[in-house]
Amino acid sequence: MMLLQIISVVFGLFMMYVVRIHRRKNHLESFEYGVWMALWTIFITLAIFPESVNGVVQTLHIARVFDLLVVAALMIVIFLTFTNRIEQKKLEKKMEQIVRKKAIDNAIESPKK
Amino acid sequence: MNITVVIPGLNEKQYLARVLKKVRKFSPHIVYVDDGSSDGSPEIARKFTPHILSHEVNLGKGASMRTGAEYAFSKLKVDAVIFMDADDQHDPKEIPKFKEKLLEADVVFGVRSMGASMPLIRFLGNKGASVLLNMLYGGYIPDIPSGYKALTNRGYESVKWKSTGYEVETEIAMRVAKEKVPFTTVEIESIYHDTDKGMTALDALHICRCLVEWRIGL
Repeated sequence: MMLLQIISVVFGLFMMYVVRIHRRKNHLESFEYGVWMALWTIFITLAIFPESVNGVVQTLHIARVFDLLVVAALMIVIFLTFTNRIEQKKLEKKMEQIVRKKAIDNAIESPKK
Repeated sequence: MNITVVIPGLNEKQYLARVLKKVRKFSPHIVYVDDGSSDGSPEIARKFTPHILSHEVNLGKGASMRTGAEYAFSKLKVDAVIFMDADDQHDPKEIPKFKEKLLEADVVFGVRSMGASMPLIRFLGNKGASVLLNMLYGGYIPDIPSGYKALTNRGYESVKWKSTGYEVETEIAMRVAKEKVPFTTVEIESIYHDTDKGMTALDALHICRCLVEWRIGL
């Protein structure tokens, strides 16, 4: 096994451990937990048996399996970054509305004191 | 015309009492919006006005201005608001000029005299922002970063901003230019302190990015 493969497997196992910890702390729902576990399992399998996707690599005219992994990882990262940005903006807006409403509601009471 | 002065502030203990004392001479109606201060600013403000709005967490200048405007128009039912900074950079003796100009237009921009008192870097930044806005939206508005401005209720509805931070002044100018909202200007004096927090170069870059983003509608 090449050094890169060993590093990939160790990293994949570590990430599965991290996912498991977050599941135990109830930070992840069952479905999300399953998706992440499946993703890291696929990652480890591909790291150990890269030749298993040779067919896909040839069909897509990609030079190496590693390149396929990089492209797939980049797509996942961009998707997650985008969804995170949307969620963050939604949260910021909600927080702003709550803070403003509370500030205005409390201000109305102050002249009566 | 029923007008109130809205002052957003964050940790302005040093100047707040002085500012509010001066403002009260020209406007009995003051709304102070505290943006999550940790220096007890709201307690100081309470001595001068009953209208204190406190953000539990820091949201930014734009969000504070909007909280103040929402409160003034929806709860106090005023006809117009005058925004000014809490750091004693604006002279309240200009308030009557704003009141007068509000009869002419829905938006009144306070424009600092670009004389010797303005640091060169600010002068260039201000001019650059106005030129960029003119190129992108076809309307020249001088001294965009000035926080001394006034809006009628109608003007507020036309320029209702989304920005929460320092970029709010630019967004208001952008909306005025884009929506062709009638505006006028008032020449104001500006006082510069050694302890000015002002905008950083990063804030300026962020504002430039926002201008381009708004233009292409991101």
